[in-house]
Amino acid sequence: MSKKSRSKLWFLVHSWLALPIWFFVLIVCVTGTLAVISQEIVWLANPQMRASQPSDDAPLLSYDQIIAAIKRAEPDTLVESISRPDESHFALDVSVSYPDGRSVTVYVDPYSGVIQGTAPAFDFKAFTRALHGWWLVPFTNGYSWGWYLVSFLSLPLLASLVTGLVVYKKFWKGFFRPTLRIRHGARIFWGDFHRLSGIWSIWFIAVISITSTWFLIQAFMFDNQVSISTAPVALVVPRESVPVTSDGSPAPTISLETAIAQAKERIPGLEDSFVSLPANAYSYLSVGGRSWYPLMYQTADINPYTGDVAATRLLSDRTGLELVTESMRPLHTGDFGGIWIKLIWFFFGLILSMMVLSGLLIWTKRTALATANALKRSNKHARLQTTTEVSQ
Amino acid sequence: MNTHAKPTPDSTLRRFWLKWRFHINVLLLLVPLGFMPKYFADAALFRGDTGLGEREIGDVQVGPWSLRLAELRNEAPTLDGPAGHMKNFTAALCDRCRDQVKATYLRIGKPRSLRAAGVIFFGTPHRMGAMLPIPEKTKADAELWITMEGWDGAMHQAALPLNQASPATVAWLNQQGGKP
Repeated sequence: MSKKSRSKLWFLVHSWLALPIWFFVLIVCVTGTLAVISQEIVWLANPQMRASQPSDDAPLLSYDQIIAAIKRAEPDTLVESISRPDESHFALDVSVSYPDGRSVTVYVDPYSGVIQGTAPAFDFKAFTRALHGWWLVPFTNGYSWGWYLVSFLSLPLLASLVTGLVVYKKFWKGFFRPTLRIRHGARIFWGDFHRLSGIWSIWFIAVISITSTWFLIQAFMFDNQVSISTAPVALVVPRESVPVTSDGSPAPTISLETAIAQAKERIPGLEDSFVSLPANAYSYLSVGGRSWYPLMYQTADINPYTGDVAATRLLSDRTGLELVTESMRPLHTGDFGGIWIKLIWFFFGLILSMMVLSGLLIWTKRTALATANALKRSNKHARLQTTTEVSQ
Repeated sequence: MNTHAKPTPDSTLRRFWLKWRFHINVLLLLVPLGFMPKYFADAALFRGDTGLGEREIGDVQVGPWSLRLAELRNEAPTLDGPAGHMKNFTAALCDRCRDQVKATYLRIGKPRSLRAAGVIFFGTPHRMGAMLPIPEKTKADAELWITMEGWDGAMHQAALPLNQASPATVAWLNQQGGKP
């Protein structure tokens, strides 16, 4: 095959990768882009989710003070966990359960402990993530087929990146001489746009396609009972260390501050961005947060009666493979360094969505013709062959 | 081999296909649209907006205490990979016993001791859940045993027939036709 026809073939492969499923790819890109900043969108829409420091020296309340404030305001509301979002202008997310059996998230002011409101029944953040992540197909036994459907797109995406760079000869020149011709008609404009945004998105498309290939592998491994995890199986507090009380009232537990202090003493640098209260009398209290490595959480399980640290899951506990695989999700979502990283991911998400659209527009204007021509050529070729065979 | 002389019937159908073949994938949007009602029903179920579960079993007296029991889903046990078939129950403790009960357990068949009381409930006294394994060879006339343990060490038990606790599970067991 000549060099020219080989590049023509690559070009056709590149064109056909997303074309038959362009709308599906587009919606997955758009929902993913929205999911990156879904928390911020809800923050904009819902004032109850916001918090601002009343004065420059106003301290944050401790988790114990938060629980005490909730108990004062609503004595029958039980707290299950508290988590402090990365950005300081967010209220705390507190999971609670009510006497009527509802289990919801409430937004609590971290400076006053005031319950500002209940998370609305329509959870935009969860919805966009579910739509983007598994096309809303329910999980029944193992991963949902929607998860496979979406994560399978990682392969054409990766192939688009590779074939795109193959057909765009000397693409690196585009970095120095950016071309975006606006006055030469739609075909030229969208072609320039596609190439220009493509080269600047190389890193982003690589990150997204590699991490989502991992999501595909992850589902496949889980559904075939292959595990690479070294995380310990969830422990229970030994029966002997759970006190029996003579008056039949619940055994006293340590304060959350004591628990956090104990954990920090054992694990230097541990951040306390969330606490989960014991889920029953035989379960541990957990404290966790990020440390110097922004892509991963470290957690400690603490005996709520004695304060002993029963188990930890630290960066150093992870194998090299786990450090890589557990970094995949934050890398995919851009949720590891605050709002600016999220905005970068959002921007490139928009660009990627536009690439799907511009690719489609280019095709409708050009590739249809190219394919027809290529077919015509191969027909002619076949015809020639037939004639030669007959004449021989 | 005659590739070029294929007559191309320029029918409306073919023109339609050529025009729309790359837009058929828009129909994939019907998948999330179709699952949307289930998605929102599930979200409401997990938030507890529609009660403890899809099917309330009712109040069960366990010694001096009682709890409100429900099936999270009114359906047969679901397969959970190699762990086997599982059935989720939810419960809420009575107001009075909220501070007296240390733990609540579920088991098929009478437990021999507190240490073998079965699976433990997780959650708060307002809303807690337990995932009970249902072996395929469970007899349809089996009983669901509830064990409650007090902070003072007291233990109380109650049983209810499986067909009362979960008719869908009994129907499923009967359908299994007594697998060995």
